Amino acid sequence: MLKIENLNLDVPGFSLTDINMEVKKGEFFALIGPTGSGKSLLLETIMGLTLFNSGKIFLNGKDISLVPSEGRNLGIVYQDCALFPHLTVLDNIRYGLRYKKIGFDDEKERLSFIVENLNISHILHRFPGTLSGGEKQRVALARVLVLRPDAVLLDEPLSSLDPVFREEIKDLLKDLHRKFETTFIMVSHDFPEVMYLAERAAIIHNGRIVQQGPVEEIFNRPNSRFVANFLGIKNVFSAEVSGGRAMVGKLEIKLVTNNCFRTPNYISIRPEEIVPIDLGTNSYENRLSGVVKKITCHGFYFNVQIEVAGVVFEATWNRKDISEQGVAPGKQITIGFSRDAVHAFFDGH
Amino acid sequence: MGTYKSMETTLRRESTFFAILLCFSLPLVLLIILPLTKMVTSPSLGSLVDTIKDREVIRAIFLSLYASAFAALISFVFGTPLAYVLARKNFRGKKLVEGLIDLPIMIPHPVIGIAILSLATKGQWIGEVLSAVGLQIMGTTTGIITVLTFVGMPFYVNTAKAGFESIPVRLEKVSRSLGAGPFSTFIRITFPLAWRNMILGMIMCIARAISEFGAVVIVAYFPMTAPVLIYERFTAYGLKYSQPVSVWLILVSLVLFVCMRLFARKTYDF
Repeated sequence: MLKIENLNLDVPGFSLTDINMEVKKGEFFALIGPTGSGKSLLLETIMGLTLFNSGKIFLNGKDISLVPSEGRNLGIVYQDCALFPHLTVLDNIRYGLRYKKIGFDDEKERLSFIVENLNISHILHRFPGTLSGGEKQRVALARVLVLRPDAVLLDEPLSSLDPVFREEIKDLLKDLHRKFETTFIMVSHDFPEVMYLAERAAIIHNGRIVQQGPVEEIFNRPNSRFVANFLGIKNVFSAEVSGGRAMVGKLEIKLVTNNCFRTPNYISIRPEEIVPIDLGTNSYENRLSGVVKKITCHGFYFNVQIEVAGVVFEATWNRKDISEQGVAPGKQITIGFSRDAVHAFFDGH
Repeated sequence: MGTYKSMETTLRRESTFFAILLCFSLPLVLLIILPLTKMVTSPSLGSLVDTIKDREVIRAIFLSLYASAFAALISFVFGTPLAYVLARKNFRGKKLVEGLIDLPIMIPHPVIGIAILSLATKGQWIGEVLSAVGLQIMGTTTGIITVLTFVGMPFYVNTAKAGFESIPVRLEKVSRSLGAGPFSTFIRITFPLAWRNMILGMIMCIARAISEFGAVVIVAYFPMTAPVLIYERFTAYGLKYSQPVSVWLILVSLVLFVCMRLFARKTYDF
């Protein structure tokens, strides 16, 4: 549906390099990266709001690289909603309709459909300045969706909202994506949010796409130390991998080797895959004895650091695990994780 | 008790600080208030009434207002695009253009008059072109409007530019993404959000133009604008006869500005 080929863009102090990306029709796609990685710039480039140096953008097979923003049939929703402050909610929503050349009846039908689905009938005659964060976001979405664009571009739609509204809009986005059968492309720096909403994603770092694919796959198989760190995988170790095992220093860890293009030189284990085990249990291929170094409380869960033969593992455990196993700093403990939980990859940097 | 006492000390120290600030501000405020009050209160009511019945005075004040408003209108028509470009685009030599726009604020006023005259005289191609289309600068209202535009324009351009800069570019981007072209976006988004600044800019332009004397007196002693008339009365008849005209000019301007300020008050939070 949307395809970007070899896109390069230079702005003072920043550049997007060799962007190749494909978004399928009807998909919920996420562009993820830390602040300043260029993801919002890429979104504006897709929208036609930023000029680029080389490359091509295709929409439904048509080259739209030189089509101005108003001719692209895409819609963008910014983090701050960017509602027009001098127009009422209704006039904001109607703003783009006059360029669509649709009949009066069609316009009316579209409006009532959108107003009903976004639950904004009670605020139609108010001005944006009087709306709450969640309401603003709904209006911004309505203003774009009423035009039935080929794709909706969302620039961090959730990050500026209060936690209450965030949950609400998150569900709304999922709901709208299903109902309107439109392609959604969302920029985000929050991976859990992306896991909930998106089907596929691309990870951007310093203006380059470093990994692209189904969200699940990125989550389970990060292809570099950067991606692993960004996804919150704490246990990333340099390792010598051969056969079904990896040597981290003197520590041997069993894993499932997959057909890698190059011999992996790193392994990663998600902190939630590491569990405290009783000596009797035998269900984990990897069983390691170590000493608890540090416990940090994060509200509902705890981060526990365990040192095993000079290697520090980080695990995420809940209150029950902590109290049942009597986990305390300085205590000897056995941890376990399955070989499937160990992911090996090659990182050239 | 201790906390209460230290709080009292803090408060006292704070008010001492503000008292010092006030002491330093006062002379400046008085410098403006005292001469103006003296001037406004000196002429008797009778002399004020007599003055406003004087056709020459009415004509001069009207010319001042009319020429200044015309200058503001010219600044609006040609200065708005300039202000918008300066607010939205970065280009080589932008600082130079901005500096040029501010230049009329710094140049001594008679120099402005001389500069314009030297360009518009016969023998200069611009002067020839102007006289060919029947426009004369020397000693005409056209000439007055020209110099007033010269001195007032920077105030309009800078205020309008600040207005455009205060509108988030995102709003214009969103408008484009919703299908509106650049012209449509300017009319439907930028202008409605910036027109108050444009009015404010025009007020400042008029204010500056009404007060202009040095440049006007070189280009056109006649027809007489209010400041020139005041000067003439002062040199010919003395303080007593120039005061009432000044009072009327100040009053008329004051009413005008207060009205326009009220009109342009509402602002948006972005």
